[in-house]
Amino acid sequence: MRRTTIILLLLSLVACKPKTGANSGGPKKVAVIVSTLNNPWFVFLAQTAAAQAKSLGYEAKIFDSQNNTATETDNFENAIASGYKAILFNPTDANGSVVNVNKAKAAGVPVFCMDREVNSTTGPTSQILSDSYSGCVDLGKYFVQQMHKKGKYVEILGIVADNNTWNRSKGFHSVVDYYPGLEMVAQQSADFDRNKGMEVMESILQAHPDITGVFCGNDAMAMGAYQALAAAGKANKVKVIGFDGSEDAIQGIKDGKVSATCMQFPKVMAQTAANYADDYFKGKRDFPKKIQVGVEMVTGKNINDYIAYGKK
Amino acid sequence: MKKGIKYTVWAVVVVLLAFNSIYFKKLSEVKASDKKFDAVAYAKGLYAKLPSVTEKAITLDQLVNEVNADKAKAFSDYGHALAIGSTRFFMVKGSGVVKEINESDVLLSTAGGNDVSVATEFVFGNAVRDASGQVNLNDFTNTVDLSNISSEVDKIIRAQVLPAFKAAVKKGDKVDFTGAIELNQEHLNLGEVELMPVSLNITK
Repeated sequence: MRRTTIILLLLSLVACKPKTGANSGGPKKVAVIVSTLNNPWFVFLAQTAAAQAKSLGYEAKIFDSQNNTATETDNFENAIASGYKAILFNPTDANGSVVNVNKAKAAGVPVFCMDREVNSTTGPTSQILSDSYSGCVDLGKYFVQQMHKKGKYVEILGIVADNNTWNRSKGFHSVVDYYPGLEMVAQQSADFDRNKGMEVMESILQAHPDITGVFCGNDAMAMGAYQALAAAGKANKVKVIGFDGSEDAIQGIKDGKVSATCMQFPKVMAQTAANYADDYFKGKRDFPKKIQVGVEMVTGKNINDYIAYGKK
Repeated sequence: MKKGIKYTVWAVVVVLLAFNSIYFKKLSEVKASDKKFDAVAYAKGLYAKLPSVTEKAITLDQLVNEVNADKAKAFSDYGHALAIGSTRFFMVKGSGVVKEINESDVLLSTAGGNDVSVATEFVFGNAVRDASGQVNLNDFTNTVDLSNISSEVDKIIRAQVLPAFKAAVKKGDKVDFTGAIELNQEHLNLGEVELMPVSLNITK
């Protein structure tokens, strides 16, 4: 009797086991969890990562976190429960996303961060990031030269909780702050969003109509700032600088609306992340904790070498 | 009596447990033990190693010849970079005659007929750090530390190398130089080479 009970209990346990890792002989599944699909740059990043994973023989699905850490948590839980074996991840929050990464790690699912980092050296298997700081050092040098070392300017920051925001800001200021003739009259966040960039610029222009330069933490905000400047009739008097290498900004440089941007290479980051997942499945474990992808400054001088999101 | 012994033993156990469970430390000691990366000290150490690196460096003229002959091989043999991409940094040496003195640079012409613009104001970025080949990416878990190394090395060069050179240099002077240059393998432009100096000596 007792033996029968034990067998029944064991059988019921097997029946209750969640279907994580259910693979039924098909290809391994790779999840691409991206901060937002409301920005073309991140759409390109996510689609490239998914395409690369598929080209390596895996099943890939994109999850949109809608710039919300709670949605991101749901995406992680769904991915882990649905048997995804690796996560190619673009986080929403450097600190807030750590718990999600750790959850995946505890479930034996490696996480490869793309473009944005999380503040953990133990959670992600590897983080593949743009060298934002160095890119903004170059932009800072260019800005000083274009402004002839004097004038009032504004800085529009990205999402305050994202490390890229501060790496870009610090890189820029590591050069510009040596020039006392350049006065920053306002520094405000517009969350990497084009509409917010426009609103912030409109509001700053009310108080500081005499600015001659704007440094923005990404191209979307730069384009928003340009719209506000154009509406105020100041587009020709103010130098606008962005970061990303988006389609709008590349065209903006050609049209003389934007002075400069920094080309990131989302394709390189996405493909590297997918390749790392492939290496992981094949047994590799010694990944660099953080690896940087070089960025390149784009101005009117070298614009013909570049297209949106990369080189010609 | 037995009860007394029992209570005493329990009391000793409780006191011992409490004593070993709680520690008091000075906040300053805790902060001091929280080892932070010292970019200033690291940069000083790196700067001290640079003479042995520049001594073995390829001359600028030879590098230009090798890049023109076989770009991929020259980039692989002499280029360094911590980041993935087509940009590589090269430690070079050479000498040239001053052609122009500008606000932010001094233009030299080498014996091999190459022009090189020596940065005398905007010495910023990763060129010297990366070209040195002395920094291993896997030794660092924090990208901010890596950026700070560049920032601090460049600061030393701006303070120790540039002022004396800028004060003395004249058109027509012969200058021995060592330093780092940046080249992009996909968009090569050998006509506008900028040198981040490590040493500059006017030999007249």
